Amino acid sequence: MIKIKNLSYQYPDGSSALDSITLNIRKGEFVAIAGKNGCGKSTLLRHINGLLPPTEGSVIVKRMDTSDPINLQEIRRTAAMVFQDPQSQFIGMTVEDDVAFGPENLSLPSAEIKRRVSTALESVGMSGYRYNTPRTLSGGQKQKVALASVLTMEPEVILFDEVTSMLDSNSRVDILSLIRQLHEAGTTIVYVTHLIEELVHADRLVLMEKGCIIQNGNPREIISKISSGSFGFDAPPIIELSKKLVGAGIIKSSFLPLSKDELLEAICRLK
Amino acid sequence: MNDLFLSFVPGKSFLHRLDPRTKVLGLMAVSFCILKVSSFEIMALMAIIFAILVIACHLPFLHFVRSVRPMLPFFTFIFLMQLLFTEGTHLFDFGLLKGTYEGFLLGSILALRFIFLILFAALITATTSPSGITSGIERLLRPLPLKYLGISSHDLAMMMSLSLYFVPMLFDSFRDLRDAQISRGLDIRKEPVKAIMSLTVPLVRMALRSVDEVALAMESRCYTGEGRSSMYVLEFRSLDYALLVFYCVLLFLLYI
Repeated sequence: MIKIKNLSYQYPDGSSALDSITLNIRKGEFVAIAGKNGCGKSTLLRHINGLLPPTEGSVIVKRMDTSDPINLQEIRRTAAMVFQDPQSQFIGMTVEDDVAFGPENLSLPSAEIKRRVSTALESVGMSGYRYNTPRTLSGGQKQKVALASVLTMEPEVILFDEVTSMLDSNSRVDILSLIRQLHEAGTTIVYVTHLIEELVHADRLVLMEKGCIIQNGNPREIISKISSGSFGFDAPPIIELSKKLVGAGIIKSSFLPLSKDELLEAICRLK
Repeated sequence: MNDLFLSFVPGKSFLHRLDPRTKVLGLMAVSFCILKVSSFEIMALMAIIFAILVIACHLPFLHFVRSVRPMLPFFTFIFLMQLLFTEGTHLFDFGLLKGTYEGFLLGSILALRFIFLILFAALITATTSPSGITSGIERLLRPLPLKYLGISSHDLAMMMSLSLYFVPMLFDSFRDLRDAQISRGLDIRKEPVKAIMSLTVPLVRMALRSVDEVALAMESRCYTGEGRSSMYVLEFRSLDYALLVFYCVLLFLLYI
Protein backbone atom coordinates (compact mmCIF):
# COMPACT_ATOMS: atom_id res chain seq x y z
CA MET A 1 0.00 0.00 0.00
CA ILE A 2 2.80 2.45 0.99
CA LYS A 3 6.40 2.06 -0.18
CA ILE A 4 9.01 4.44 1.18
CA LYS A 5 12.48 4.04 -0.29
CA ASN A 6 15.64 5.82 0.87
CA LEU A 7 13.60 8.86 1.90
CA SER A 8 15.61 11.83 3.09
CA TYR A 9 14.34 15.30 3.84
CA GLN A 10 16.16 18.47 4.72
CA TYR A 11 14.50 21.59 6.07
CA PRO A 12 15.04 24.81 4.09
CA ASP A 13 17.77 25.79 6.61
CA GLY A 14 19.72 22.64 5.61
CA SER A 15 19.15 20.62 8.79
CA SER A 16 18.23 16.99 8.24
CA ALA A 17 14.80 15.77 9.35
CA LEU A 18 14.74 12.31 7.73
CA ASP A 19 17.73 10.20 6.76
CA SER A 20 17.42 7.28 4.30
CA ILE A 21 14.10 5.94 5.57
CA THR A 22 12.93 2.71 3.95
CA LEU A 23 9.58 1.36 5.04
CA ASN A 24 6.78 -0.71 3.49
CA ILE A 25 3.25 -0.69 4.89
CA ARG A 26 0.82 -3.40 3.78
CA LYS A 27 -2.90 -2.94 3.16
CA GLY A 28 -4.93 -3.33 6.36
CA GLU A 29 -1.87 -3.11 8.61
CA PHE A 30 -1.78 -1.09 11.85
CA VAL A 31 1.68 0.46 12.02
CA ALA A 32 2.67 2.55 15.01
CA ILE A 33 5.54 4.99 14.66
CA ALA A 34 7.12 6.10 17.92
CA GLY A 35 10.02 8.22 18.97
CA LYS A 36 10.95 11.25 20.97
CA ASN A 37 9.91 14.79 19.99
CA GLY A 38 11.76 16.02 16.92
CA CYS A 39 12.76 12.54 15.70
CA GLY A 40 10.96 13.03 12.37
CA LYS A 41 7.69 11.10 12.95
CA SER A 42 5.38 13.91 11.84
CA THR A 43 7.65 14.81 8.91
CA LEU A 44 7.42 11.20 7.74
CA LEU A 45 3.60 11.32 7.90
CA ARG A 46 3.54 14.58 5.93
CA HIS A 47 5.56 12.89 3.21
CA ILE A 48 3.05 10.04 3.00
CA ASN A 49 0.22 12.61 2.73
CA GLY A 50 2.11 14.45 -0.01
CA LEU A 51 2.39 17.66 2.01
CA LEU A 52 6.19 17.59 1.78
CA PRO A 53 8.20 16.60 -1.30
CA PRO A 54 11.16 14.27 -0.61
CA THR A 55 14.64 15.81 -0.86
CA GLU A 56 15.89 12.34 -1.85
CA GLY A 57 14.23 8.97 -2.33
CA SER A 58 10.60 8.26 -3.02
CA VAL A 59 7.24 7.74 -1.36
CA ILE A 60 4.75 5.63 -3.30
CA VAL A 61 1.15 5.47 -2.08
CA LYS A 62 -0.95 2.88 -3.92
CA ARG A 63 1.42 3.03 -6.93
CA MET A 64 1.29 6.86 -7.00
CA ASP A 65 4.50 8.82 -6.50
CA THR A 66 4.06 11.75 -4.07
CA SER A 67 6.63 13.83 -5.97
CA ASP A 68 4.32 14.01 -9.00
CA PRO A 69 1.85 16.92 -8.41
CA ILE A 70 -0.78 15.24 -10.63
CA ASN A 71 -1.13 12.44 -8.05
CA LEU A 72 -1.44 14.62 -4.98
CA GLN A 73 -5.22 14.92 -4.77
CA GLU A 74 -5.75 11.16 -5.18
CA ILE A 75 -2.91 10.44 -2.70
CA ARG A 76 -4.51 12.72 -0.10
CA ARG A 77 -7.88 11.08 -0.64
CA THR A 78 -6.32 7.61 -0.34
CA ALA A 79 -4.11 8.40 2.67
CA ALA A 80 -5.90 11.06 4.73
CA MET A 81 -4.29 12.68 7.73
CA VAL A 82 -5.55 13.67 11.18
CA PHE A 83 -3.33 16.32 12.79
CA GLN A 84 -2.18 16.66 16.38
CA ASP A 85 -4.12 19.86 17.12
CA PRO A 86 -7.70 19.52 15.86
CA GLN A 87 -8.30 23.26 16.35
CA SER A 88 -5.72 24.09 13.71
CA GLN A 89 -7.40 21.99 11.02
CA PHE A 90 -10.98 23.29 11.24
CA ILE A 91 -12.13 25.18 8.18
CA GLY A 92 -15.92 25.23 8.50
CA MET A 93 -17.87 27.39 10.92
CA THR A 94 -20.12 24.49 11.86
CA VAL A 95 -19.23 20.83 12.45
CA GLU A 96 -21.31 19.86 9.41
CA ASP A 97 -19.54 22.36 7.13
CA ASP A 98 -16.14 21.24 8.32
CA VAL A 99 -16.87 17.57 7.82
CA ALA A 100 -18.26 18.31 4.33
CA PHE A 101 -15.13 20.22 3.26
CA GLY A 102 -13.21 17.14 2.02
CA PRO A 103 -15.97 15.59 -0.13
CA GLU A 104 -16.80 19.06 -1.53
CA ASN A 105 -13.18 19.27 -2.71
CA LEU A 106 -13.62 15.88 -4.38
CA SER A 107 -16.54 17.38 -6.39
CA LEU A 108 -19.02 14.79 -5.12
CA PRO A 109 -22.74 15.35 -5.69
CA SER A 110 -24.73 17.00 -2.90
CA ALA A 111 -26.70 13.87 -1.92
CA GLU A 112 -23.49 11.83 -1.61
CA ILE A 113 -21.83 14.56 0.51
CA LYS A 114 -24.84 14.63 2.85
CA ARG A 115 -24.79 10.83 3.13
CA ARG A 116 -21.07 10.74 3.91
CA VAL A 117 -21.35 13.58 6.46
CA SER A 118 -24.19 11.83 8.30
CA THR A 119 -22.41 8.45 8.26
CA ALA A 120 -19.08 9.90 9.42
CA LEU A 121 -20.64 11.94 12.24
CA GLU A 122 -22.64 8.92 13.37
CA SER A 123 -19.59 6.66 13.35
CA VAL A 124 -17.70 8.97 15.71
CA GLY A 125 -20.79 9.66 17.84
CA MET A 126 -21.02 13.36 16.98
CA SER A 127 -24.38 13.50 15.15
CA GLY A 128 -25.87 15.63 17.90
CA TYR A 129 -23.25 18.35 17.36
CA ARG A 130 -23.86 18.83 13.64
CA TYR A 131 -24.61 22.55 13.85
CA ASN A 132 -22.21 23.44 16.67
CA THR A 133 -19.21 25.68 16.17
CA PRO A 134 -16.14 23.38 16.24
CA ARG A 135 -14.12 25.65 18.51
CA THR A 136 -16.76 25.43 21.27
CA LEU A 137 -16.35 21.64 21.57
CA SER A 138 -14.14 19.83 24.09
CA GLY A 139 -10.71 18.50 23.04
CA GLY A 140 -11.97 14.94 22.58
CA GLN A 141 -15.02 16.08 20.61
CA LYS A 142 -12.82 18.25 18.38
CA GLN A 143 -10.58 15.30 17.61
CA LYS A 144 -13.65 13.16 16.80
CA VAL A 145 -14.86 15.84 14.37
CA ALA A 146 -11.36 15.95 12.84
CA LEU A 147 -11.56 12.17 12.39
CA ALA A 148 -15.05 12.45 10.85
CA SER A 149 -13.66 15.07 8.46
CA VAL A 150 -11.22 12.56 6.98
CA LEU A 151 -13.68 9.64 7.11
CA THR A 152 -15.93 11.49 4.65
CA MET A 153 -13.21 11.12 2.04
CA GLU A 154 -13.44 7.33 2.58
CA PRO A 155 -9.65 6.88 2.73
CA GLU A 156 -7.95 3.50 2.57
CA VAL A 157 -5.18 4.70 4.87
CA ILE A 158 -5.51 7.08 7.81
CA LEU A 159 -2.43 8.81 9.16
CA PHE A 160 -2.77 9.84 12.80
CA ASP A 161 -0.24 12.41 14.02
CA GLU A 162 -0.13 12.27 17.84
CA VAL A 163 -3.89 12.70 17.94
CA THR A 164 -4.23 11.87 21.64
CA SER A 165 -1.40 14.04 22.94
CA MET A 166 -3.70 16.97 23.82
CA LEU A 167 -6.54 14.86 25.27
CA ASP A 168 -7.56 13.75 28.76
CA SER A 169 -7.48 10.02 29.52
CA ASN A 170 -11.19 9.38 28.82
CA SER A 171 -11.08 11.13 25.44
CA ARG A 172 -7.89 9.24 24.64
CA VAL A 173 -9.60 5.91 25.31
CA ASP A 174 -12.53 6.98 23.07
CA ILE A 175 -10.27 7.99 20.18
CA LEU A 176 -8.11 4.85 20.46
CA SER A 177 -11.23 2.70 20.48
CA LEU A 178 -12.48 4.45 17.29
CA ILE A 179 -9.09 3.88 15.65
CA ARG A 180 -9.19 0.18 16.56
CA GLN A 181 -12.71 -0.08 15.09
CA LEU A 182 -11.47 1.49 11.85
CA HIS A 183 -8.58 -0.97 11.72
CA GLU A 184 -10.92 -3.92 12.32
CA ALA A 185 -13.08 -2.63 9.43
CA GLY A 186 -10.04 -2.94 7.14
CA THR A 187 -8.57 0.57 7.13
CA THR A 188 -4.78 0.78 7.09
CA ILE A 189 -3.63 2.77 10.10
CA VAL A 190 -0.37 4.64 10.51
CA TYR A 191 -0.32 5.91 14.06
CA VAL A 192 2.33 8.29 15.33
CA THR A 193 2.75 8.71 19.07
CA HIS A 194 5.34 9.19 21.78
CA LEU A 195 3.21 7.34 24.36
CA ILE A 196 4.55 3.78 24.70
CA GLU A 197 1.32 2.40 26.23
CA GLU A 198 -0.60 3.23 23.02
CA LEU A 199 1.61 0.97 20.90
CA VAL A 200 0.48 -2.41 22.19
CA HIS A 201 -2.42 -2.81 19.76
CA ALA A 202 -0.36 -2.16 16.63
CA ASP A 203 0.59 -4.96 14.23
CA ARG A 204 4.03 -3.45 13.86
CA LEU A 205 6.08 -0.86 15.67
CA VAL A 206 8.57 1.46 14.00
CA LEU A 207 10.87 3.25 16.38
CA MET A 208 12.60 6.42 15.18
CA GLU A 209 15.51 8.46 16.42
CA LYS A 210 17.13 11.52 14.82
CA GLY A 211 15.40 10.99 11.48
CA CYS A 212 16.30 7.28 11.21
CA ILE A 213 14.42 4.04 11.87
CA ILE A 214 16.16 2.23 14.74
CA GLN A 215 13.65 -0.60 15.26
CA ASN A 216 10.98 -2.08 13.02
CA GLY A 217 9.09 -5.15 14.14
CA ASN A 218 6.84 -6.79 16.70
CA PRO A 219 5.54 -4.15 19.17
CA ARG A 220 5.65 -6.53 22.14
CA GLU A 221 9.32 -7.37 21.60
CA ILE A 222 10.31 -3.74 21.04
CA ILE A 223 8.30 -2.48 24.03
CA SER A 224 9.95 -5.17 26.21
CA LYS A 225 13.33 -3.80 25.10
CA ILE A 226 12.12 -0.25 25.81
CA SER A 227 10.94 -1.29 29.28
CA SER A 228 14.38 -2.66 30.03
CA GLY A 229 15.84 0.79 29.42
CA SER A 230 16.95 0.44 25.79
CA PHE A 231 16.67 3.35 23.33
CA GLY A 232 16.57 5.95 26.12
CA PHE A 233 12.79 5.76 26.64
CA ASP A 234 11.27 5.78 30.09
CA ALA A 235 8.95 2.80 30.55
CA PRO A 236 5.38 3.90 31.34
CA PRO A 237 4.18 3.29 34.95
CA ILE A 238 1.88 0.43 33.88
CA ILE A 239 4.84 -1.51 32.41
CA GLU A 240 6.99 -0.76 35.49
CA LEU A 241 4.19 -2.14 37.67
CA SER A 242 3.83 -5.25 35.46
CA LYS A 243 7.58 -5.89 35.64
CA LYS A 244 7.56 -5.65 39.44
CA LEU A 245 4.51 -7.92 39.78
CA VAL A 246 6.02 -10.52 37.42
CA GLY A 247 9.46 -10.16 39.07
CA ALA A 248 7.97 -10.72 42.52
CA GLY A 249 6.18 -13.82 41.23
CA ILE A 250 2.76 -12.38 42.03
CA ILE A 251 1.69 -12.63 38.41
CA LYS A 252 2.62 -15.71 36.45
CA SER A 253 2.35 -14.78 32.81
CA SER A 254 4.06 -16.11 29.70
CA PHE A 255 4.42 -12.50 28.52
CA LEU A 256 4.84 -9.13 30.22
CA PRO A 257 1.47 -7.32 30.47
CA LEU A 258 2.00 -4.06 28.61
CA SER A 259 -1.34 -2.33 28.91
CA LYS A 260 -3.89 -1.67 31.64
CA ASP A 261 -6.26 -4.24 30.11
CA GLU A 262 -3.59 -6.94 29.88
CA LEU A 263 -2.48 -6.34 33.47
CA LEU A 264 -6.08 -6.44 34.65
CA GLU A 265 -6.61 -9.73 32.82
CA ALA A 266 -3.46 -11.22 34.39
CA ILE A 267 -4.60 -10.13 37.87
CA CYS A 268 -8.10 -11.55 37.28
CA ARG A 269 -6.53 -14.90 36.38
CA LEU A 270 -5.06 -15.08 39.91
CA LYS A 271 -8.50 -15.78 41.41
CA MET B 1 -18.78 31.96 22.79
CA ASN B 2 -21.03 30.10 20.40
CA ASP B 3 -23.14 33.20 19.80
CA LEU B 4 -20.38 35.78 19.55
CA PHE B 5 -20.82 36.60 15.87
CA LEU B 6 -23.81 36.01 13.67
CA SER B 7 -24.08 32.27 14.22
CA PHE B 8 -26.44 29.79 12.59
CA VAL B 9 -29.56 28.54 14.41
CA PRO B 10 -30.86 25.36 12.71
CA GLY B 11 -34.59 25.29 11.91
CA LYS B 12 -37.25 24.60 9.29
CA SER B 13 -38.94 28.00 8.95
CA PHE B 14 -39.74 29.61 5.58
CA LEU B 15 -36.61 31.78 5.92
CA HIS B 16 -34.48 28.67 6.58
CA ARG B 17 -35.89 27.09 3.43
CA LEU B 18 -35.30 30.10 1.15
CA ASP B 19 -32.43 29.92 -1.34
CA PRO B 20 -29.31 31.57 0.22
CA ARG B 21 -29.03 33.83 -2.86
CA THR B 22 -32.52 35.23 -2.19
CA LYS B 23 -31.51 35.97 1.39
CA VAL B 24 -28.19 37.59 0.45
CA LEU B 25 -29.94 39.75 -2.16
CA GLY B 26 -32.69 40.48 0.38
CA LEU B 27 -30.11 41.65 2.88
CA MET B 28 -28.64 43.95 0.24
CA ALA B 29 -32.10 45.36 -0.58
CA VAL B 30 -32.93 45.88 3.09
CA SER B 31 -29.53 47.57 3.59
CA PHE B 32 -30.31 50.03 0.79
CA CYS B 33 -33.69 50.75 2.43
CA ILE B 34 -32.09 51.25 5.84
CA LEU B 35 -29.52 53.67 4.43
CA LYS B 36 -32.20 55.59 2.54
CA VAL B 37 -34.88 56.08 5.22
CA SER B 38 -34.50 58.73 7.87
CA SER B 39 -37.83 58.77 9.66
CA PHE B 40 -38.63 57.13 12.98
CA GLU B 41 -41.98 55.91 11.66
CA ILE B 42 -40.31 53.75 8.99
CA MET B 43 -37.70 52.61 11.52
CA ALA B 44 -40.55 51.52 13.79
CA LEU B 45 -42.14 49.68 10.84
CA MET B 46 -38.82 47.91 10.24
CA ALA B 47 -38.66 46.91 13.89
CA ILE B 48 -42.15 45.40 13.61
CA ILE B 49 -41.25 43.51 10.40
CA PHE B 50 -38.05 42.26 12.04
CA ALA B 51 -39.94 41.09 15.15
CA ILE B 52 -42.54 39.27 13.00
CA LEU B 53 -39.78 37.51 11.05
CA VAL B 54 -37.97 36.47 14.25
CA ILE B 55 -41.18 35.09 15.76
CA ALA B 56 -42.17 33.36 12.49
CA CYS B 57 -38.75 31.67 12.37
CA HIS B 58 -38.98 30.57 16.02
CA LEU B 59 -35.68 32.29 16.81
CA PRO B 60 -34.77 33.53 20.31
CA PHE B 61 -34.58 37.33 20.62
CA LEU B 62 -31.57 36.84 22.92
CA HIS B 63 -29.58 35.61 19.92
CA PHE B 64 -29.97 39.04 18.29
CA VAL B 65 -29.18 40.92 21.49
CA ARG B 66 -25.89 38.97 21.59
CA SER B 67 -25.17 39.87 17.97
CA VAL B 68 -25.62 43.60 18.59
CA ARG B 69 -23.99 43.77 22.03
CA PRO B 70 -20.31 43.70 20.93
CA MET B 71 -20.99 46.71 18.67
CA LEU B 72 -22.79 48.85 21.27
CA PRO B 73 -19.72 50.97 22.22
CA PHE B 74 -19.34 51.86 18.53
CA PHE B 75 -23.03 52.81 18.18
CA THR B 76 -22.85 54.87 21.39
CA PHE B 77 -19.79 56.70 20.05
CA ILE B 78 -21.60 57.54 16.78
CA PHE B 79 -24.65 58.74 18.69
CA LEU B 80 -22.61 60.95 21.02
CA MET B 81 -20.59 62.46 18.15
CA GLN B 82 -23.79 63.51 16.38
CA LEU B 83 -25.45 64.67 19.58
CA LEU B 84 -22.56 66.87 20.68
CA PHE B 85 -21.22 68.15 17.35
CA THR B 86 -24.38 68.99 15.39
CA GLU B 87 -25.55 72.59 15.21
CA GLY B 88 -29.14 73.23 16.27
CA THR B 89 -31.59 73.82 19.09
CA HIS B 90 -29.79 73.72 22.44
CA LEU B 91 -30.78 70.83 24.72
CA PHE B 92 -28.09 70.61 27.46
CA ASP B 93 -24.44 71.48 28.24
CA PHE B 94 -21.70 68.88 28.55
CA GLY B 95 -18.61 70.80 29.60
CA LEU B 96 -17.55 72.86 26.60
CA LEU B 97 -19.84 70.85 24.30
CA LYS B 98 -23.53 71.33 23.73
CA GLY B 99 -26.12 68.67 23.05
CA THR B 100 -28.68 69.68 20.41
CA TYR B 101 -32.13 68.43 19.44
CA GLU B 102 -31.07 68.00 15.80
CA GLY B 103 -27.95 66.13 16.96
CA PHE B 104 -30.13 63.84 19.05
CA LEU B 105 -32.35 63.03 16.05
CA LEU B 106 -29.43 62.52 13.67
CA GLY B 107 -27.48 60.41 16.19
CA SER B 108 -30.51 58.25 16.91
CA ILE B 109 -31.21 57.66 13.20
CA LEU B 110 -27.56 56.82 12.48
CA ALA B 111 -27.25 54.45 15.46
CA LEU B 112 -30.59 52.80 14.57
CA ARG B 113 -29.42 52.32 10.97
CA PHE B 114 -26.34 50.43 12.15
CA ILE B 115 -28.37 48.40 14.66
CA PHE B 116 -30.89 47.37 11.97
CA LEU B 117 -28.07 46.47 9.58
CA ILE B 118 -26.58 44.15 12.20
CA LEU B 119 -29.99 42.73 13.15
CA PHE B 120 -31.00 41.86 9.58
CA ALA B 121 -27.54 40.43 8.89
CA ALA B 122 -27.91 38.33 12.05
CA LEU B 123 -31.35 37.18 10.84
CA ILE B 124 -29.82 35.96 7.57
CA THR B 125 -26.89 34.19 9.24
CA ALA B 126 -29.21 32.67 11.86
CA THR B 127 -31.36 31.09 9.15
CA THR B 128 -28.61 30.13 6.67
CA SER B 129 -25.72 27.79 7.35
CA PRO B 130 -22.29 29.39 6.74
CA SER B 131 -21.67 26.95 3.91
CA GLY B 132 -25.03 27.95 2.37
CA ILE B 133 -24.08 31.63 2.51
CA THR B 134 -20.69 30.90 0.94
CA SER B 135 -22.32 28.84 -1.84
CA GLY B 136 -24.90 31.58 -2.42
CA ILE B 137 -22.29 34.34 -2.68
CA GLU B 138 -20.13 32.14 -4.89
CA ARG B 139 -23.03 31.63 -7.31
CA LEU B 140 -23.94 35.33 -7.26
CA LEU B 141 -20.32 36.27 -8.06
CA ARG B 142 -19.95 33.66 -10.81
CA PRO B 143 -21.17 35.89 -13.71
CA LEU B 144 -18.58 38.57 -12.84
CA PRO B 145 -15.43 38.57 -15.03
CA LEU B 146 -13.18 37.75 -12.05
CA LYS B 147 -10.89 35.49 -14.05
CA TYR B 148 -9.37 38.59 -15.67
CA LEU B 149 -8.21 39.59 -12.18
CA GLY B 150 -6.65 36.15 -11.68
CA ILE B 151 -9.21 34.99 -9.10
CA SER B 152 -12.35 32.87 -9.19
CA SER B 153 -15.70 33.19 -7.42
CA HIS B 154 -14.68 30.03 -5.51
CA ASP B 155 -11.58 31.82 -4.21
CA LEU B 156 -13.55 34.90 -3.15
CA ALA B 157 -16.23 32.84 -1.40
CA MET B 158 -13.57 30.74 0.38
CA MET B 159 -11.73 33.90 1.48
CA MET B 160 -14.94 35.31 2.89
CA SER B 161 -15.77 32.07 4.67
CA LEU B 162 -12.27 31.83 6.20
CA SER B 163 -12.40 35.47 7.30
CA LEU B 164 -15.67 34.80 9.12
CA TYR B 165 -14.01 31.76 10.71
CA PHE B 166 -10.90 33.66 11.79
CA VAL B 167 -12.62 36.63 13.48
CA PRO B 168 -13.91 34.70 16.52
CA MET B 169 -10.75 32.58 16.56
CA LEU B 170 -8.58 35.70 16.77
CA PHE B 171 -10.86 37.08 19.45
CA ASP B 172 -10.33 33.88 21.49
CA SER B 173 -6.56 34.09 20.96
CA PHE B 174 -6.57 37.75 22.00
CA ARG B 175 -8.47 36.92 25.20
CA ASP B 176 -6.06 34.08 26.06
CA LEU B 177 -3.05 36.31 25.38
CA ARG B 178 -4.46 39.18 27.43
CA ASP B 179 -5.13 36.84 30.39
CA ALA B 180 -1.63 35.34 30.07
CA GLN B 181 0.02 38.76 30.03
CA ILE B 182 -2.09 40.09 32.94
CA SER B 183 -1.22 36.97 34.99
CA ARG B 184 2.44 37.83 34.38
CA GLY B 185 2.04 41.30 35.80
CA LEU B 186 0.99 43.44 32.83
CA ASP B 187 -1.14 46.42 33.88
CA ILE B 188 -3.08 47.52 30.79
CA ARG B 189 -4.29 50.77 32.38
CA LYS B 190 -0.90 51.90 33.70
CA GLU B 191 1.17 50.85 30.67
CA PRO B 192 -1.10 51.04 27.61
CA VAL B 193 1.73 51.31 25.05
CA LYS B 194 3.57 48.32 26.50
CA ALA B 195 0.25 46.45 26.63
CA ILE B 196 -0.43 47.11 22.93
CA MET B 197 3.05 45.85 22.01
CA SER B 198 2.90 42.80 24.23
CA LEU B 199 -0.52 41.82 22.86
CA THR B 200 -0.28 42.68 19.16
CA VAL B 201 3.12 41.12 18.41
CA PRO B 202 2.24 37.61 19.71
CA LEU B 203 -1.29 37.94 18.28
CA VAL B 204 0.04 38.62 14.78
CA ARG B 205 2.51 35.74 15.17
CA MET B 206 -0.30 33.40 16.31
CA ALA B 207 -2.51 34.56 13.44
CA LEU B 208 0.20 33.89 10.86
CA ARG B 209 0.88 30.45 12.35
CA SER B 210 -2.86 29.65 12.32
CA VAL B 211 -3.09 30.69 8.67
CA ASP B 212 -0.18 28.37 7.88
CA GLU B 213 -1.78 25.47 9.74
CA VAL B 214 -5.20 25.98 8.16
CA ALA B 215 -3.61 26.17 4.70
CA LEU B 216 -1.84 22.86 5.38
CA ALA B 217 -5.09 21.28 6.63
CA MET B 218 -6.93 22.51 3.52
CA GLU B 219 -4.25 21.07 1.27
CA SER B 220 -4.32 17.79 3.18
CA ARG B 221 -8.09 17.58 2.57
CA CYS B 222 -7.68 17.86 -1.19
CA TYR B 223 -8.38 21.59 -1.60
CA THR B 224 -7.05 22.89 -4.89
CA GLY B 225 -9.31 25.93 -5.34
CA GLU B 226 -10.90 24.46 -8.45
CA GLY B 227 -13.75 22.13 -9.26
CA ARG B 228 -15.40 22.11 -5.85
CA SER B 229 -18.97 21.00 -5.37
CA SER B 230 -21.27 21.99 -2.51
CA MET B 231 -23.33 20.10 0.03
CA TYR B 232 -26.14 22.57 -0.65
CA VAL B 233 -28.14 22.44 -3.85
CA LEU B 234 -29.18 25.98 -4.68
CA GLU B 235 -32.59 26.14 -6.27
CA PHE B 236 -34.97 29.08 -6.78
CA ARG B 237 -38.58 28.25 -5.92
CA SER B 238 -41.71 30.33 -6.52
CA LEU B 239 -41.33 32.18 -3.18
CA ASP B 240 -37.74 33.09 -4.12
CA TYR B 241 -38.88 34.54 -7.45
CA ALA B 242 -41.72 36.44 -5.74
CA LEU B 243 -39.29 37.94 -3.24
CA LEU B 244 -36.84 38.96 -5.96
CA VAL B 245 -39.66 40.87 -7.71
CA PHE B 246 -40.60 42.41 -4.36
CA TYR B 247 -37.00 43.63 -3.80
CA CYS B 248 -36.99 45.27 -7.23
CA VAL B 249 -40.31 47.03 -6.60
CA LEU B 250 -39.16 48.16 -3.15
CA LEU B 251 -35.91 49.65 -4.45
CA PHE B 252 -37.69 51.23 -7.42
CA LEU B 253 -40.18 52.98 -5.10
CA LEU B 254 -37.42 54.15 -2.77
CA TYR B 255 -34.92 55.48 -5.27
CA ILE B 256 -36.90 56.55 -8.33
